[in-house]
Amino acid sequence: MIERLLANLDTLLLYLFAACAFVSAALMIVLAQPMRVALALISTMVFLGGIYGLLGVHFIAAFQVLIYVGAVMVFMVYAIMLLDVRDPAYQRRYSRYLVPGILAGVAFFAALAWGLAREFADVAEGGPAAGGAFGIQQFAAAFLNEYWLHFELTSVLLVAAVVAALAVINVSRRDRG
Amino acid sequence: MIQDLVVYAVFIGYAIGVLMTFGLVLTWVERKQAAIMSDRIGANRAYLRIPFTDVRLVWWGLFHGIADGLKMILKEDFKPRTYDWYAYAVAPWVAFTPVLLVFAVIPFGGTLAPAKLVPALADWFGDRTYPMQIARLDAGLLIVFAFGGMTIIGAMLAGWSSSNKFSLLGALRAGSQMISYELVLGLTVLGLILIYGTVDLDDIVRQQSGIVLGFLPAWGVFLQPFAATLFMAAAIAENKRIPFDLPEAESELIAGYFTEYSAMKMGLFMFAEFIEIAIIGALFTTLFLGGYNLPYMNDSGFVFPGGHVVALPYAAVVVIQLVTFLVKVFLMCSFQILVRWSLPRFRYDQVLRFAWKFMLPLALANLTVTAVAVWLLHAVHA
Repeated sequence: MIERLLANLDTLLLYLFAACAFVSAALMIVLAQPMRVALALISTMVFLGGIYGLLGVHFIAAFQVLIYVGAVMVFMVYAIMLLDVRDPAYQRRYSRYLVPGILAGVAFFAALAWGLAREFADVAEGGPAAGGAFGIQQFAAAFLNEYWLHFELTSVLLVAAVVAALAVINVSRRDRG
Repeated sequence: MIQDLVVYAVFIGYAIGVLMTFGLVLTWVERKQAAIMSDRIGANRAYLRIPFTDVRLVWWGLFHGIADGLKMILKEDFKPRTYDWYAYAVAPWVAFTPVLLVFAVIPFGGTLAPAKLVPALADWFGDRTYPMQIARLDAGLLIVFAFGGMTIIGAMLAGWSSSNKFSLLGALRAGSQMISYELVLGLTVLGLILIYGTVDLDDIVRQQSGIVLGFLPAWGVFLQPFAATLFMAAAIAENKRIPFDLPEAESELIAGYFTEYSAMKMGLFMFAEFIEIAIIGALFTTLFLGGYNLPYMNDSGFVFPGGHVVALPYAAVVVIQLVTFLVKVFLMCSFQILVRWSLPRFRYDQVLRFAWKFMLPLALANLTVTAVAVWLLHAVHA
């Protein structure tokens, strides 16, 4: 009994994490309070990290939690902390874009399902499959040999965004005098 | 299969036991060490009386920790009228759990071969061996930082959801301070990663049992003395302890972000802080002080400078490694408490300026020098 449970533990945990990630992602869309939305997003990220960990790519799991929770969400929570909790905008659960949003969501899911179905057909025919262990060494080599230019371009983009943000703040300050 | 389950259940039990004991003992060490440093008698009131006798066991105030625990469990569980009860209830756990999880990747001993240690179990275990670590992951150090970043959210959630201006100010301070010092913490460790060429913590410990310059053990603290100092300072700031305890500065913000927490919920925040002292000690030991090994020691015995080899029986190695790790961690905890009772508190702008204008440039300079040195050494050897 325990032997069988242990043998299938990976699959069980995978389903558990996937279900939790799905539920928190759905909550993120439905909830109205910004802080609860942020919490739901954080738990989605953590459960996704758990899925990556189960797939054996621990460093991707670490990056998922480190970057999305430890950096991105920390700043979002920091910003939400300073919002006014009595803002009437939180009273209404859905905005007036509810119907177009649902339509776009359905279209997106259809496209995703179509793409996945094609991928699965490929895999069934013996197409691109995961080859060997992808450890942090391989990741680092691929990252610094093939993708360093993309990475540097991203940092340039981020600096541009920082400059733009500062400019926007200065403009609004000047308007107020 | 079942053997693995048993071994890892023992490891997890050991880790939680060690951390809880450290958390409890450190509350006492903090008081007693403060008393010794300021020439007072100190914690000496709580005692256990042996039933039906008049014998009182004071034991240098060791039972103060139990008295604290009892008080926290029995006190009124006050709940403020808050606009988000969910965030208020979940915040102490978000601050506490990641601190425990960090220990999962820290190696607290060498390799465990149950068959060699207990011959009676030889049939059951066969020739299985286990690294003494809950999870040996190739991303070890990254996982430490991933979980370390989550505690910030706990502090900010607690302050925000308490419906109290003091709490909110404390949360703001905690957020900015922890984000700043986490950056410094990450940069100081990068130099070590360059030298050892790995983020696997067990591998880092094994590489430290060598010898450099003919006589020094190859400990991180000798290879990266500068990074070790910066790491310790940034880690104390990350844990929000004096001289960096501005998020809970009593004279300005009552108790900062956990002002509105009472009873065991407040206890969780305090416990998280004390366990984090032990975690910082364990991390410093693993990265800079040779981990679970004594100087010149490896899994088979000692290799002294000059090629003198002393082989040790396996059981002795396991016991020495477990004890060495605990002693080193305890000494580092004691050092952190020493710092707490020696230095006065910064002003808040000074804390942030210290991080961004002093420690960050120093950490970057250390990284640059290390990178150039490692590159030169590789060029010479090639």
